Amino acid sequence: MLIHANPKRFMDLSGRLLPYFSGVAGFLLVLGLYLALFVAPKDYQQSETVRIMFVHVPAALMTTFVYAFMAVASIVGLAWKHPVADMAAKAAAPIGACFAVLMLATGALWGQPMWGTWWVWDARLTSALVQLFLYIGYIALWEAIDEPTRAARAAAILAIVGVINIPIIKFSVEWWNTLHQPASLAKLDGPSIDPSFLWPLLIMMAGYVMFFATLVLLRTRTEILNRRMRSLHMAQVRVGEQVKSYG
Amino acid sequence: MKRKNRRLAFIISSVGLLSIASLLVLSALRDSIVFFYTPSDLLSREIEPDKPIRVGGLVVTGSVVHTEEGRVEFKITDTENAVQIHFNGLLPDLFREGQGVVAQGTMLDTGDFEASQVLAKHDETYMPPEVAEALKEKGYWQQQENK
Amino acid sequence: MSSLNTQSQPGLLPIVKSMIARDMVLSARIGGSGFLAAVFFIIVVSLVPLGVGPQPEVLSVIASGMIWVGVLLASLLSLDRLFQADFEDGSMELFFLLPLPLPVLVLAKVVAFWLTTALPLIAVAPILGLLLNLPGPSFGALILALVIGTPGLSLIGSIAAALTMGLRRGGLLLSLLSLPLCVPILIFGVGSIAEGSMWNSSMALLLATTLIAIVVAPIAAAGALKLNMT
Repeated sequence: MLIHANPKRFMDLSGRLLPYFSGVAGFLLVLGLYLALFVAPKDYQQSETVRIMFVHVPAALMTTFVYAFMAVASIVGLAWKHPVADMAAKAAAPIGACFAVLMLATGALWGQPMWGTWWVWDARLTSALVQLFLYIGYIALWEAIDEPTRAARAAAILAIVGVINIPIIKFSVEWWNTLHQPASLAKLDGPSIDPSFLWPLLIMMAGYVMFFATLVLLRTRTEILNRRMRSLHMAQVRVGEQVKSYG
Repeated sequence: MKRKNRRLAFIISSVGLLSIASLLVLSALRDSIVFFYTPSDLLSREIEPDKPIRVGGLVVTGSVVHTEEGRVEFKITDTENAVQIHFNGLLPDLFREGQGVVAQGTMLDTGDFEASQVLAKHDETYMPPEVAEALKEKGYWQQQENK
Repeated sequence: MSSLNTQSQPGLLPIVKSMIARDMVLSARIGGSGFLAAVFFIIVVSLVPLGVGPQPEVLSVIASGMIWVGVLLASLLSLDRLFQADFEDGSMELFFLLPLPLPVLVLAKVVAFWLTTALPLIAVAPILGLLLNLPGPSFGALILALVIGTPGLSLIGSIAAALTMGLRRGGLLLSLLSLPLCVPILIFGVGSIAEGSMWNSSMALLLATTLIAIVVAPIAAAGALKLNMT
């Protein structure tokens, strides 16, 4: 990890990885959606509506996964003053917020036919909504502070404090009796989901993860380039001032 | 030396506070923030009429009666106790006998429950209809307990 | 550094005491943010019956929730000044020279804030309970929940206040950052009043949240202060 502290090395490595990442992500998403929408059977209770699961569950997974990624990157950034980690955390936040919106939207579309309501204030749904607010607060804090290193450290502190919501989301369905059903995959006695649903779901999850990896690499690269442009611009302004004062 | 003692005092008091907090959480969990009560909860707690609450349980097989004017009456159970629900409105797609539901409404003086909204709760099991049929035929089917 | 400290180190307690006393005197002389916060609280909560209609049965259902939302808003609006005032007049730089660990400094500031701002809110809350037709047996639980929960609110807010110290338009951002973190306090606070008994599981969770905030918030806020002072 520390070898890649150097933004230049990161640029080289990520430039080489990016085509593969995006290719794998595209392949998995197309395959996963095809399997989910056309191949997977109907559910014994939910019939065709179950297909929303293949979009909703991976989005929910990514909502927490991306935040955990940001928290780890923040810790690395704070502890080792690692500029690429800071930029990766910043780059991940809007992606995570989009996953959160996708999770809430597909959840509402699923809840309306199945539960009979778009939204209820049970512990799972509320904590998931709070997660979206945390993403927005994190992005807003970055925007509010001009100097990048200071913004990175402030945002890192916020990200680390906000991690407390992740276990609350995860365990809300077990600690409290919610309308939302408990986990189907991460269970001690094995997943309670038929293989004909499990495989499309796992492929979709892998597709989402690769899609996130692609986007976060791309956005981190953009961030590095932006900072380079900024410092070039500053240098240009300084040279311009010198010329003016001599002339 | 003093500095070291001070740090030790900080750590000890932090650990102390956090362990009290976790004890409190452990003692309180499962009991609070209920999205719904079970029929047994209704019997064991004094719930005043007209207070809006939610009751959850499985729809008792054979208890669903569609009366006139779109009214539905059914019983829900947590396998120990049951409560009679009266409801006037649209039922969700997933509503069927044996299915988990959550009803929002108020207790009546008679001990019955007048629901203003009925939500279906589905479990975390997903399988194709053929598999469910096969399981039923082989007798492996076990009805999901209410969580 | 350590040799300097061991020579004539005053205990922490006297410094903490004088910090708290200083903040309370300041707040009293300046006209008291606590007074303004209490007035704001009363006005916000009195808007509720105008908004939802004056039916007593409707009001009594939402009373505890509205009081908690009012307390939350009033505290957040006042938290803006928690570190900002000391930052602007340069006192913060002097605090950094004190032989006082930063987390303890944060705790002292929060204690002073709670005494000057949250306590007046708790004092007027029963009056608002009357206005909103809060059921009689709930008053005790309301006070207890506020006493347990408001320190948690102040502590969580202190993280956001430290993060936004020195920023333009920090006030709005402060609310945006602290509101999601305050959600558990709001939920447990309202839940503990609805139970109808003084001590219940929501109250226990509320206390647990505040205890966790006592440990976590001063450290996080101290980190944020340090970074905003360099």
